[in-house]
Amino acid sequence: MANMTEPQARAQGAEVEVRGITKRFGPVVAVQTASFVIRGGEFFSLLGPSGCGKTTTLRIIGGFEHADEGDVSISGRVMGRTPPNRRETNMVFQRLALFPHYTVFDNVAFGLRMKRLPDAEVRRRVGEALDLVQMPGLAARKISELSGGQQQRVALARALVNRPPVLLLDEPLSSLDLKLRLQMQEELKRLQRELGTTFIYVTHDQGEALAMSDRVGVMEGGRLYQVGPPMEIYERPTTRFVASFIGDANLIDGLVEGLEDSTVVIRAGRMQVRARRQGWEQMGSRLTVCVRPERIRVDSPATRPDALRGRIEDRAFSGYVVKYRLAVDGLRLHVAVPYQSGTSLHQIGDDVAAYWDPQQAVVVAGE
Amino acid sequence: MKITRAAVLALLAPAMALMIILYVIPLGLYFINSFRLFKDGRIIPIWTLQTYADYFTDPFSYKIIWESVRLSLIVTALALLIGYPVAYALHTRVRSAGARAVLALLLFSPLLVSVVVRTYGWFILLASQGLVNSTLRAAGLITEPLSLLFNSRGVVISLTHILLPFAIFPIYSVLGRLDLSLKEAAQDLGAGWWDTFQRITLPLTMPGVVAGTLICFTLALSAFVTPRLLGGGRVQVLPLMVYNNTVEINWPTGAVSGLTLLLLSMAAVWALNALLRKLPSV
Repeated sequence: MANMTEPQARAQGAEVEVRGITKRFGPVVAVQTASFVIRGGEFFSLLGPSGCGKTTTLRIIGGFEHADEGDVSISGRVMGRTPPNRRETNMVFQRLALFPHYTVFDNVAFGLRMKRLPDAEVRRRVGEALDLVQMPGLAARKISELSGGQQQRVALARALVNRPPVLLLDEPLSSLDLKLRLQMQEELKRLQRELGTTFIYVTHDQGEALAMSDRVGVMEGGRLYQVGPPMEIYERPTTRFVASFIGDANLIDGLVEGLEDSTVVIRAGRMQVRARRQGWEQMGSRLTVCVRPERIRVDSPATRPDALRGRIEDRAFSGYVVKYRLAVDGLRLHVAVPYQSGTSLHQIGDDVAAYWDPQQAVVVAGE
Repeated sequence: MKITRAAVLALLAPAMALMIILYVIPLGLYFINSFRLFKDGRIIPIWTLQTYADYFTDPFSYKIIWESVRLSLIVTALALLIGYPVAYALHTRVRSAGARAVLALLLFSPLLVSVVVRTYGWFILLASQGLVNSTLRAAGLITEPLSLLFNSRGVVISLTHILLPFAIFPIYSVLGRLDLSLKEAAQDLGAGWWDTFQRITLPLTMPGVVAGTLICFTLALSAFVTPRLLGGGRVQVLPLMVYNNTVEINWPTGAVSGLTLLLLSMAAVWALNALLRKLPSV
């Protein structure tokens, strides 16, 4: 599993370094001193809710905006105010921005023609690019004659045909329906592996970011909060926001009541809960416990007298899991239990015990 | 809410009535004269095609038609050549909505002045001792004054000036609808300013250019006061001919001239609309 997510080192993908960029639009700070390094050939996602500054960061890397402070290097070269047409990046725009007055062929050929390549080579490479995105035979079509998914592929081909060391993607799948989106996710991942291009992918969809990326950067309110592989971000979120934004999370605010070798004991109202100790916790400090729904076990109260007591408020069946909503001491806990034929289910209104392995719960600094 | 056919007709009726009473009927009555004959200073009430035959066999008619079309084409071309950069600058360089509104008002302000007043203003500017000539002479660019009055130059200058807003605004409004990311995409794919303009912006704003052409050309073709005053009788165009024929009670020839003018305008509208339909929409 770990091997699958390791980026394959390839010569073509360029390294991108972002050093302390800040961007203001009037009184609004869109990006605040964000720094990160994207390795050559990596699939890197910038993830966050809308307005978090991820698109602005991408546009600064592409040269469409200029940072007020800080700088961007691509392949070790400081970009400064280098315009987009002189950067070794290509962009797939959110609204695709296909040229409506051109055919599919002319759209894809645009970048090559700007490089004044001979016609024969333009034809060959456009053909290859359309094959790559599995759109052969549609070169003569007008853009308006294509479906959304096909337009998506043309936009991708138009960028990839230039063989950019860095491809920037600004929520390119957001206009597609779910099924097509999942299919295009797989295809983007395949393309990225085959080409070895550095992909910088902006999305607000955490599922998309987790599924596709080698590493993810989580942003909110113009700040970059955490950068790491998807599993690390899921397992060890460093802030309350990251914990709540990535995957589902039960967040329990409380005070540190006891410190043990590997666990920290937290008092939250009348409840006492345990989580994995990280080392920085101090007695009496305020923090938040994050427990994923699938880590919580639910049983009859008799079997676990020491566990939290709660009542099933709601139950939802969704195929391979059953989701419960529990009321525990004025708190709501979301629980996901894997479902197989014969799994006995709790009923709404049942009194139950809820518990988890403290090593499966993580603490983040309180806010 | 569903609007019934009767309601639609009721809503249209006042406008339709006005159009029919004030436009279609007088025009029809006037054009009936084209089938009469003008002889010995009076209109003979017979049905004949003689006036048409005379008009379209007279080389003078073609001279007038050509002069009208030529002037209108020059004025239209100049208005577009000057108007496009203005629209482009207004769109790309002026950021604040307030500044845009002020500039738009300034551009339209010539239209708020009576055409007669404006034309006499041009007299002052274009005369041999006028501001234009004296400035050029002071700058050492000319020794003899340019003759800008009572010929087609003055008419072209004045008409271009007044038709400029009609070229600027259709282009400006199409520029406003242009998806900015198209320009960014072109830039991203390696296009500099010129390639982006010539391959993306200009082709996609052609609907605005065509609409501007349509308005400028038809207005220039039917212009009357400017050619009459600034042309000083030496610029002979169709509307002047219609006027002259009519005051000379030669209504049959006036009607044929008028129909020719109408057909030229309609041909331009038809041709440009056909072109517009072929252009990609933004």
